[in-house]
Amino acid sequence: MAQKKDVWQGTLALMVLKTLDMLGPLGDLLAVNYGTLYPALLKLEQEGYIRSEWGVSDNNRKAKYYKLTRAGKKQLEREARDWEQTTSILARFLAPGEEPS
Amino acid sequence: MRNFRAWLLRLAGVFRKEQDDREFVDEMESHLQMHIDDNLRSGMSALEARRRALLKLGGIEPTKEIYRERRGLPMLETVLQDLRYAVRTLRKNPGFTIIAVLTLALGIGANTAIFSMVNALLLHPYNFPDLDRLVRVWENRGIDEGADARLIAPQDAADLLSGAPVFDALTTYKCGDLNLSAEGNVQPALGCQVSANFFDVLGVGPALGRAFNASEEQPGADQVAVVSYGLWQRRFAGDAALLGKVIQINGKKYTVVGIMPRGFDYPVPMELWVPLGLSPAEKTDRAKLSLESLGRLKLGISVAQARSAADSVSRRLQQEYPTTNANRRSEVLQLRRELYLYTLPLFLLLQTAAVFVLLLACANLANLLFARIFGRQREIAVRTALGAGRWRLARLFVTETLLLACIAGGVAVAGSFWSVKVLRTSIAPSWTMWVPGWDGIQVDRTVLAFTVLLIAIVGLLFGLGTVLHSGQALPYAALKEAGRGPMLGSKCRLRSALVVAQVMFALVLLVCAGLTTQAFLHLVDVYQGFQAASVLRTEIRLPEESYPGNSQIASFYDRVLRGSASLPGVSAAALVTNSPASNVDNETTFFTISGRPAVNASEVPSADLQISSPNYFSVLRIPLVAGRAYSYADNANAARVAVISRSMAVRYWPKGDELGQQIKLGPANSKEPWMTVVGVVEDVRQNWWNPTSRPTIYEPFFQTPQRSMVFLMRAASNPAGYASGIREVVRGIDDQIGLTGVGTLEREITDSIAIIRIMGVLMALFGCVALALSSVGVYGVLAEGVARRIPEIGVRLALGAEPRDVMKLVLGQAVKLTGIGLAIGVPIALAVNRAMSSLIFGIVSINLLLLAGFTLLLLVVALAAAYLPARRAMRVDPLVALRHE
Repeated sequence: MAQKKDVWQGTLALMVLKTLDMLGPLGDLLAVNYGTLYPALLKLEQEGYIRSEWGVSDNNRKAKYYKLTRAGKKQLEREARDWEQTTSILARFLAPGEEPS
Repeated sequence: MRNFRAWLLRLAGVFRKEQDDREFVDEMESHLQMHIDDNLRSGMSALEARRRALLKLGGIEPTKEIYRERRGLPMLETVLQDLRYAVRTLRKNPGFTIIAVLTLALGIGANTAIFSMVNALLLHPYNFPDLDRLVRVWENRGIDEGADARLIAPQDAADLLSGAPVFDALTTYKCGDLNLSAEGNVQPALGCQVSANFFDVLGVGPALGRAFNASEEQPGADQVAVVSYGLWQRRFAGDAALLGKVIQINGKKYTVVGIMPRGFDYPVPMELWVPLGLSPAEKTDRAKLSLESLGRLKLGISVAQARSAADSVSRRLQQEYPTTNANRRSEVLQLRRELYLYTLPLFLLLQTAAVFVLLLACANLANLLFARIFGRQREIAVRTALGAGRWRLARLFVTETLLLACIAGGVAVAGSFWSVKVLRTSIAPSWTMWVPGWDGIQVDRTVLAFTVLLIAIVGLLFGLGTVLHSGQALPYAALKEAGRGPMLGSKCRLRSALVVAQVMFALVLLVCAGLTTQAFLHLVDVYQGFQAASVLRTEIRLPEESYPGNSQIASFYDRVLRGSASLPGVSAAALVTNSPASNVDNETTFFTISGRPAVNASEVPSADLQISSPNYFSVLRIPLVAGRAYSYADNANAARVAVISRSMAVRYWPKGDELGQQIKLGPANSKEPWMTVVGVVEDVRQNWWNPTSRPTIYEPFFQTPQRSMVFLMRAASNPAGYASGIREVVRGIDDQIGLTGVGTLEREITDSIAIIRIMGVLMALFGCVALALSSVGVYGVLAEGVARRIPEIGVRLALGAEPRDVMKLVLGQAVKLTGIGLAIGVPIALAVNRAMSSLIFGIVSINLLLLAGFTLLLLVVALAAAYLPARRAMRVDPLVALRHE
């Protein structure tokens, strides 16, 4: 089993937004525990990027659902763009052959 | 924007904790349950499924904690928590809380009350726009020592305006009694002749109608009038149809063109304003300082700049017109400052005293707090041991002291609403009407802001002091030792220093209070040269219409004098133009001595002029120094005579040959008749602020009768009882004449120094508070010290010390602390004493007896305060004391 990466500083919000956008699960790539996830959700909700409501899950359990708001969609685009920019800059730095050890 | 929204939601989160908590637990539980369900589906046992899910997602409790921090505002929450805790601690120690609150409230309240006075009288005496740009401008002839009138020559005023480019405008005016007749009823009214730009310079226009035009300054075109709101209401029943109506002033017809707004009372509470119509000759006069003047400075010009500009104009005029203007200087003073020229030092003194009271209260409270901290050392130690940081503890203490200061401030503000009311109503309105801004004394926004500032400073200072004081506690030592053993040296020293400071402040305050009270008591004596006891006074003004000539005036007053002198128990009655202690300066006049005419107008000497009836000197018991006083024989048909004051005789006839000399009013070329000096009387101090006695000329009333006079009457006893008697007499002669200001002369004198009396009372109060606070301080520290040293005293007693020695030990400490305080306090008090004697017009002298008395008093009080703890120390039972060890 591949080692799971920790969440990078500042990228969780982006990931949460992206996940909600795709309505998909976060998957098993990352280990996100409650202590990280919930405050991040709360912050996004307080800032108005996501909205939550109680609903019923597939197997008839009460569950809280988070949805992206319009402002959240815009924020996602913005953050994704920023992220791509950052990574492309980094990629250019790392490009000239050197293998990370 | 997003951040603000988040912040608002977090703020709301602070107050909905429980509901949010429950919801979050539900949410996590459902999330966890989903994972457990997943795990169950993959075939785990129920227990294993839950364990795995928890492992994966992390603990529930830590999550709750992190979540909570994001949901609310942790800073605010701890503040609220501290506040709740502070309220609880204060409620648990009602004794401490009440004493602390009362002490602080006293200190803050004293400052609030005094500041409300300073604020109204000094900072906002008038509601004129840009008050700071208004300046009084006047001239000083350089040879009139002690003269207090602030007047300017008309042509000089014009030259100042054109020559010194610092004034936007300069207005001149002249005030006095006017006789107003409306609907056949003649009454004197306070009036002022003003230049057309008078209201523009002040920046206040009429509420109804208009002000004066420049064309109305011409003699002949000047018969228009502006009336005050009060006169409009009183005499004309607030009828708006008054505008355009004709009223009679001094027998001439004037058209009312404007009505001033309510509360407009410049230069003093006036009833009428009419244009100052000067003839061309009067306008260009330079010889006589005859007008008052008020200027509005250009924007950005400072008073100092204005002063130097006016000064250079004056110098130029000195050169250009030496005959009139030699030695003549101009003065510029801010209107706001002019008002309180004499009383400003008293206000500052009072405010300083109030600050001292607050400092004393603070020192006391600091002692209380430090004692309490000492008692709470164990608590602090436990908190520190449990991981409370110094910052967190500091916040706790600051919250507590701030809360204390706030409660005390609340009490103080509530109290000052009451005390300000008392202050305002404790002086008769007949006097306070002359004090601009008096009606504005109130607890307004500025005063509240001042109080809040005080509260914040006091609260924070104490908080920080407490923090610094408690910071040294090492948890292990404190836990082991808390509440026992002698105080650490530095803390002991700090508290002792506080007591020393208290004793010092108390001494200085007491000396100030003593001096001010003494000044008040002696102010009455300041009016030397006459005796005010058993004298009744009243003002009488005759209308010009029914008393057009000297013979009618003289016969009216003659009948008044004869009628009143025949009242049973009345020994004498007299008239004078301005009675002493009226708070009004005497009229000043030029005079010329026969054979010594002044060559230049600038050298014509001046003197105060009083016109009085024959018995004036005997009614007031003003001693005759030489010659004779005038009698009824010195009437209109007899040769003109005059009596002069001693200072005038000394100054102009140093060889003592004044009797028989001829003098006349006015300069050498005046048409006034020559008068023979027949007598010299003792100097009389006219008003409390006049440090020296002015040369004074007394003219016999029956040789130069005046319509407005002050009537004085000496009775055998109870002068106030003759008020109705004199009314009867006057009514019997002319029932149209009303009397104003009927009362005893003694009352007049105490009223005239009412403001100083109030300050004396306040200072005496402050002194008592200072004494009480400092004795409580000494007691507190010693009692605390004894309580802490009981084991030590027990050892001493067990080792054979006599109870007397123990008592000496405690009393010795009291004497040491008080002694140091006094040693520091005495030089300061002496300096204050010296400063005050120069401030309060030479009334207060350096008073070593007072200083020695208060020093002794403080020592005695300190010893008395030390007696209880000392007795307790003496009665320590060594067995009981040592068992504690």
